[in-house]
Amino acid sequence: MIFEELNKIERQPNGAPVAAEDLLQLPVFKDVSPQFLKKNANATVWRHFKRGEIVCREGEFGSTAFYILEGTASVQLASPIAHVKAQGGPGGFFGRLTSKLTSRLAARQEDRREEEADRRSIPIDAPVDLAYDHPVAELGPGELFGEMTCMNYYPRSATVRAETDCTMLEMLRNVLDVLQKSKPFRAQLDQTYRRRALDSHLRNVSIFRGLTQDFIDHLRERVELLRFTPGQVICKQGEPADSFYLVRLGFVKISEAYPGGELVLAYLSRGDYFGEIGLLGGGGRTATCTALDHVELVRISAEDFLAMVEKFPGVRLGLENAARERQAANQERLRMVRSVPLERFLSQGLMEAQSLLVLDLDKCTRCDACVTACADSHDGVTRLVREGLRFENFLVATSCRQCRDPLCMVGCPVGAIRRRNSLEVIIEDWCVGCGLCAKNCPYGNINLHSFTAQAEDHENPGHKKAVVQKKATTCDLCTEQAEPSCVYACPHDAAHRVEPREFFSETLGQRAGTLKKR
Amino acid sequence: MRIDNTHKNWAIASLLIFGLSMLLYGIYRVPPSGVPMGGTALGLVFGSLGFAFMIFAALLGARKKVPVWRVGRAQTWMRGHLWLGLLCLPLIVFHSGFRYGHGLSAVLMTLLIVVVASGVFGAALQHYMPRVMTREVTMETIYEEIEHVRAQLREEAEELFTQATAETAKAAAAAGAGSTGTSVAVREDEAAPMRNFFEQELRPFLDNPGARGHALADQAQSRSAFVQLRTLVPPALHTTLDDLESICEEERQLTMQSRLHLWLHGWLLLHIPLSLALILLGAVHAVMALRF
Repeated sequence: MIFEELNKIERQPNGAPVAAEDLLQLPVFKDVSPQFLKKNANATVWRHFKRGEIVCREGEFGSTAFYILEGTASVQLASPIAHVKAQGGPGGFFGRLTSKLTSRLAARQEDRREEEADRRSIPIDAPVDLAYDHPVAELGPGELFGEMTCMNYYPRSATVRAETDCTMLEMLRNVLDVLQKSKPFRAQLDQTYRRRALDSHLRNVSIFRGLTQDFIDHLRERVELLRFTPGQVICKQGEPADSFYLVRLGFVKISEAYPGGELVLAYLSRGDYFGEIGLLGGGGRTATCTALDHVELVRISAEDFLAMVEKFPGVRLGLENAARERQAANQERLRMVRSVPLERFLSQGLMEAQSLLVLDLDKCTRCDACVTACADSHDGVTRLVREGLRFENFLVATSCRQCRDPLCMVGCPVGAIRRRNSLEVIIEDWCVGCGLCAKNCPYGNINLHSFTAQAEDHENPGHKKAVVQKKATTCDLCTEQAEPSCVYACPHDAAHRVEPREFFSETLGQRAGTLKKR
Repeated sequence: MRIDNTHKNWAIASLLIFGLSMLLYGIYRVPPSGVPMGGTALGLVFGSLGFAFMIFAALLGARKKVPVWRVGRAQTWMRGHLWLGLLCLPLIVFHSGFRYGHGLSAVLMTLLIVVVASGVFGAALQHYMPRVMTREVTMETIYEEIEHVRAQLREEAEELFTQATAETAKAAAAAGAGSTGTSVAVREDEAAPMRNFFEQELRPFLDNPGARGHALADQAQSRSAFVQLRTLVPPALHTTLDDLESICEEERQLTMQSRLHLWLHGWLLLHIPLSLALILLGAVHAVMALRF
């Protein structure tokens, strides 16, 4: 037991509120006002878990965080670490004859996808990260988990199971929010982070893998841990660059201003970093970074950052390459945006799209052949719905638009959804199937695909049982095929996959465009 | 399918086949009237070609059943279906030597005429109706969802009505208790025209929107009914009336969508079974003619 003070507290049954007097006995609550704790008497409750009992499951929605007082708990991902792979199609004579694609789960070792993250660990809502190859870790007394769920109402990122008999405090957001402002509590959390997660966070970034342990130990004590509230600007485009940041918690929106608007370049989540372009270029910030929710960052000062890149030329080279790639991708996106007629596109959100499935309603007989073909091509799970926005006589069907502001990426509890440089969405192997991305997508373009998988049977430890797991999928444009199934199967020449700006340019009267089908 | 410029090649090819067939028929037709044309070499060529085109046209149905098969784009099949299907008629007429025949031949000829006519009718509908539907039904939904949307509209209307009447009841109670009430409160008698309208007109319309002769089924009549109603009830209820009017409009659009959908696809109920019968009996006719 690390809390001697626990001996002075009389344990109450499971679910009973923790008395303010008892909470104040604990060092982490020392700075919290007794009046606040009394007013919020029911906001913190006792939780007792027997060995093997599940505390929370990945993908579940919740609103509380857990603070471990006694015992140890394991934190793990029960979902298979794999992505949905469509197969079939053009292989062999008969393969070429059919567009029937079967979907199955494939891990990184088996099916390496272009621009897939090369992370070695998976970010979760706990003071530790999980190894990609063996996603299990241990949590002990004094550790907090479920912060993101509690503060931002994101789904649980992992399954937590009591490894020994455990006693925990389960708290609501108002208590956690006050605790976050308490110096002893912050100090303890920060210390835990520096001790357990900073190392893996830094090493998760491929270009930092060359850092020596000595240097990481040096950084461990030098870095600053910062907190930002939702909407707070972390740094502004054009400001002098003075720090490098690593995201510890929450989501950061990276955006760039352009005449008449703002282009979201990326949403960064736990384990991602930013600020290197300004530091390496010796100039100002090239983008504005804003906290989307409760964000916690690790700040490495310009001095330490420059010392690091000087001491480790490999790191410098990697950072420079990464910065160049990011800048080139950003420039390309901005170039595309600047050349677009905005008004009417923006009014219907079409500006956001990179690729659209449009149905010419003057030709479409509403036969649903496109939907049937999509379902038949993807194990009976259609990835498009013949409903959506209308633009002139075109229906922009519900199918992934590869948006420039990909709201689907906000809130993923394990940071599994992101996009490639081409802006196309990629769902990483460690998707836990919580469905938040599907819920967030304003166009309903993300679906959950069910699979039967073998998972640990928590009722019978050491045994496995078949369970239905879900993985998020988006329209993959039937990349295995020469042409998307929905377009191929439309008998009325009404369905087209198009690059929207070009496709609508004629309608908008901006320039005579030739219909470019994808 | 819209018949537009993209059909040019098919139209030209079909016209060429038709012209060539007519030329051959004119040149090689056996003059004696007693000899059936179908039994001659040219007649057999016309018959075989016509039957082959029928089979190709019928295969569109099979093609649609397996959308995952990459055996040509569905629109190519559809174009082939339209033009080759249409060509069947002159080819079979040439095959028959412009005779209607009797027995099975007469049945076949009748079936062919009906199938081609229904196909032309269907093609014309599918050429025009999508534009009508796009223009007229701006609140279009997925066809299978229509009943669900209707149920939601009914529920929404009931809710609006209940809220409005609950507020008037509250206002009446307050008035009974001697309270002056709020400025927007509506007395029960003031809301009576709306209650009567809802119970006698609106609810029956939403319950059975397809019923003929209903005033609310007609946009103009509906508009005038709501205009009149607004003059009878206090302004506090006008927002509710606006919402109810929107519900009626959406309901009319759903009815219109159902009707247009029926037009778009209803003719297939005749076209498909008769086509299948034609293929089947055509095969019987071919076997019998060749064997006997």
